[in-house]
Amino acid sequence: MPSPIALTTPPRQESIFKKRSPSYLTAMRSAQSYLIALSEADARARSRDSASTMSTPALSLSSTATTLSEEDVVNDAPCDNSDGLAFPTTPPTSEQFSSANHLQFGFCANENYRYKSAHKAGTQLKELHEQDPPYYILLTTYLGYLFLICIGHIRDFFGKRFHPKFYGHLLPFDGYAPLNSDFDSFYTRRFKTRIDDCFAAPVTGVPGRTIALLDRDSDDYNNSFFLTGTTTRGLNISSYNYLGFASAQGGCADAVEESLRRYGASSCGALLEGGSSEVQMTAEALVASFVGQEDALISSMGFATNSTIIPALVSKGCLVISDELNHASIRFGVRLSGTNIRMFKHNNMKSLESLLREVISQGQPKTHRPWKKILLIVEGLYSMEGTLLNLPGIMELKKKYKFSLFIDEAHSIGALGPNGRGVVDYFGVNPREIDILMGTFTKSFGAAGGYIAGSKTLIDRLRLRGHGGAYAESMTPPVLTQIMASMASIMGVSPSTSSALELAQHHPGPAHPCQLPAWIDLPPSLRDGSEGRMRLRRIAFNARYLSRGLAKLGFITYGHTDSPIVPLLLYNTGKMCVFHRMMRARKTPIVVVVVAYPATPLVTSRVRFCVSASHTKDDIDTVLRACNEIGDVLDLKHLPGERWPLERIFNSAVELVNMEDE
Amino acid sequence: MDSSASALEPLFAFLSYALIQAELAFYKIPGSHVIARYVKSSHQNDPGRTVLEVLLALFAIRTLLQSRTRADNGEKHFIQFSEKEIDELVDEWTPEPLGAPLTTEEQMDLASIPVVSGPNGPRPKLVNTGKQVLNLASYNFTGLAGNETIKERAIETLRKYGVGSCGPPGFYGTIDVHMDLERDIADFLGTEAAILYSQAFATISSSIAAFAKRGDIIVADRGVNFAIQKGLQISRSTIRWFDHNDLKGLEDVLQNVEKERRKRRGPLTRRFIVTEGIFERDGTISDLPKLIELKHKYKYRLVLDESVSFGTVGRTGRGLTELYNVPATQIDMLLGSVANGLNSSGGFCAGSRHVVDHQRINGTSFVFSAAVPALLAVSASEGINILRNTPSILSTLQENIRAIRAVLERVDCITIPSHAASPIIHIYVRAQAPAATAVAGSKSSSNSAPLAFDIALEERLLQDVVDEALAQGVWITRARRLRGQEIVEARPSIRLAVTAALSRKECERAAGVVKAAAVKVLTKRK
Repeated sequence: MPSPIALTTPPRQESIFKKRSPSYLTAMRSAQSYLIALSEADARARSRDSASTMSTPALSLSSTATTLSEEDVVNDAPCDNSDGLAFPTTPPTSEQFSSANHLQFGFCANENYRYKSAHKAGTQLKELHEQDPPYYILLTTYLGYLFLICIGHIRDFFGKRFHPKFYGHLLPFDGYAPLNSDFDSFYTRRFKTRIDDCFAAPVTGVPGRTIALLDRDSDDYNNSFFLTGTTTRGLNISSYNYLGFASAQGGCADAVEESLRRYGASSCGALLEGGSSEVQMTAEALVASFVGQEDALISSMGFATNSTIIPALVSKGCLVISDELNHASIRFGVRLSGTNIRMFKHNNMKSLESLLREVISQGQPKTHRPWKKILLIVEGLYSMEGTLLNLPGIMELKKKYKFSLFIDEAHSIGALGPNGRGVVDYFGVNPREIDILMGTFTKSFGAAGGYIAGSKTLIDRLRLRGHGGAYAESMTPPVLTQIMASMASIMGVSPSTSSALELAQHHPGPAHPCQLPAWIDLPPSLRDGSEGRMRLRRIAFNARYLSRGLAKLGFITYGHTDSPIVPLLLYNTGKMCVFHRMMRARKTPIVVVVVAYPATPLVTSRVRFCVSASHTKDDIDTVLRACNEIGDVLDLKHLPGERWPLERIFNSAVELVNMEDE
Repeated sequence: MDSSASALEPLFAFLSYALIQAELAFYKIPGSHVIARYVKSSHQNDPGRTVLEVLLALFAIRTLLQSRTRADNGEKHFIQFSEKEIDELVDEWTPEPLGAPLTTEEQMDLASIPVVSGPNGPRPKLVNTGKQVLNLASYNFTGLAGNETIKERAIETLRKYGVGSCGPPGFYGTIDVHMDLERDIADFLGTEAAILYSQAFATISSSIAAFAKRGDIIVADRGVNFAIQKGLQISRSTIRWFDHNDLKGLEDVLQNVEKERRKRRGPLTRRFIVTEGIFERDGTISDLPKLIELKHKYKYRLVLDESVSFGTVGRTGRGLTELYNVPATQIDMLLGSVANGLNSSGGFCAGSRHVVDHQRINGTSFVFSAAVPALLAVSASEGINILRNTPSILSTLQENIRAIRAVLERVDCITIPSHAASPIIHIYVRAQAPAATAVAGSKSSSNSAPLAFDIALEERLLQDVVDEALAQGVWITRARRLRGQEIVEARPSIRLAVTAALSRKECERAAGVVKAAAVKVLTKRK
């Protein structure tokens, strides 16, 4: 990177894996030697078993027990383990070794590293108070922006005079107005381009526990990049892969392969115009029973689910009340619908209630007619803040004020709740009391697209009135299969043959065999739901461990502790790229997402961690250790209160996770 | 008197102390001296000005503090209620149900949609009838659905990349196969670059809105598809319409816009012409060379939606640019559907590097949505590969179109608005009264003009034709519309999607069935 603050030399610290792992691991240079170690460990385990000193091995993890074939290793696993990512620190027995390899889904057999994600009944959702940084941080942040703006304008001023060809597209030319004005693109050109190596990095392979970045470089100050041809594999704490279903092997991938053989990869048109298929209908029924609604509708893109369905729900004379931090797709949809929109303070029930009282009593603007409908649109889990929706508070208001409720569970579905059924499950609310549940399949299910679930009448109406039904392509069969397979493994498939009707009343229960196509043959551990439960409990543990660990190290984080999204506040813009580069340059590279204005308020630039069930406790330790070191260098630890040394956090992880909220 | 003064003394002492403290604190603020000097000297010069400036400052503070969302609740219309009154109003308020139940017709409409039981393709089996049918309903123009090479490539990709991309392109969702597909599309069309969106329908609304803002001018065809209409709506630009596929009308509009601008001496704003290659609504084709001539003459940028024409016309399926032999670089934004043209999923916008890169940051549905699954991107790349290497697919498609049209054009009770090369063939009910035959003319007059056709009646008749054809083993579909939401109501039609995967014989047979069904239903009517 030509940027002056780019880091070229990696920090000198040793890999934590090397320090901690037994000597035989460091010697493992090839897959061959790894397999040998694997069989040795196997033998050891067996001998210990006979002596009955070892507790039952975590069988929940063993699925198809296919051994790691040599081909898999060649394809995906780099044979040397110098970055400490390829193999677990404690090698599993072959019986435990899951079909998904360690790079995609981490091996973790310790049953203590599990937690149940649920809201304690009868307690209030913790009110979050955003911790303010010291004043000098705020001041330097503003000064930093001011400085950048000045420099930017100076560069523009001279650039336009001395290098007009670089500004050609920003100036009127030959009677054409510029496509984007220099004012509109100022932020992009003068702020973002400087640190563009931290954004939109291309990747290859599975975005699982680890991810392979394609290395790139720029010789024109980040205006363009070229690939250098090498890759860097890093620990992936950025992708929305909450339950670790992003995988190229295992039961789900096998089912997808089968569906590709049977159905091909195309859906051939819109749902109402020749794109309807039996697979789609089966998937829709399964989604409906997963979220606990009567019916569901699947759309081929998550963004479009909101942007095409909201206009079908509300029209002129209706009012949409929206959380101020709602996702762009919701705002897009509301704008298309042409309704009135009012916003309330993020997750603030007082602000919502006073707004409701005002709008219901005032009625429509000017005419004062009562509103036809009032639709409250909120998200289950906010992707930039990590805050959980205050659902109990909203349900109380809903009883009193009779508005309709639309919950966007794009991030919460699968990732929250004891059964993975989202924020509704987390708070133990009956899903049928909520008018519309929307969610996406990109995040927890490793697929793509989105769904809308609600009563049968409503969904039928949306099938006809949503823009997608008549005009947008429907979902392709392989993606539908991935949804069904992953969803069924979270639910588990009941072995009984009780009637489907009876089953529908048992929410959240297992799926009925008839809800899956007969050709989907899930391996036993997925079919009985044990692996699904394990995944749910692992992500819950990881989420709490990371956010609590960071707090104990003294970092300012936002959001609730049960949220798998953990934003760590950086404030100064300049720290974003340095943090990103330092994380990536470590011996065990860590891939992080940094976000700043306009996705966040101007001063609160942040790094956003997304934990996954595929991470092991060791991985979270790695992240904590890296944050600790970089936090010291970049002066990021500003949280008042008790601090714990790193080793204490590592050793009392379980205690930390199980601690009550103070 | 004296006693009261002494009683007030501590108060005065406190006030003067507070004043001194405030003054000291004020002077501690860096830069405060400058402000104080400025205020002093301006007060000295003109005491009235101080008052004015204080008022101005107060007004600025008030404006800044005012919530923007409250703007429409101007005090004029705001009624003060007591808490009790509000409670009563809340109790009284009864909202409408969120979704009205379907009417009987709508239920039948929904139930009439055929569902494919196995793989979709040229000869799928339907759940509704349990029989195999000839498929002229699904988009499978070049017969890529179910292609074995594509399947193999998709499976290979699955085994390397998994299914989902697990993130938007900005957050590690850009996989190398996406970049490959973007490059393949750009190479195929001959543009500098291309950007891949994850749904075709969501592509153009984001693309247009990334460039066209409030105050910009968009001149659009009245017959553009729904996705474009939504893009125009979201852009908040000034929209001028020209009559459907009437380039003379377009030129008039362009001249008018220029005249108005001259008159108002307005600033130079961005100006776009937005139209479709082959219109999804009726299958007519735009005259691309003429469009390009006009665009250059009046200095507009051309946004061309090739959702139907990409992958279906031209020698190898490059679309309208290949058909008219026009370099694609002449078109500023060329949009197409990966879902329709390549039987995968997603949409793209091709153009210059600036056009594409700008969308990577400003294309709402690109930035805020997960990227296309890797295996679908690879399927699309393979689709391009197949189209490049086998031009015979496109000639077969054209032969099939000709074969079907040869049968249908001889039927009296229907009319076909579609262009002879269009792979989608729309069928209208021929208007009975001779006066109403000039439907195309009457449609163009204005938005509020009464429609020259009875939507409900024609929809019903056409649905009968569709049902009749299905009973005879040919699957066709009515063009589905969101009635009441389109800017100009489209005339009810049956839309055939011709495919290269059927043989000429089958196409003729299918067309024969459609013909017989149309004759049977339409000649029976009163």
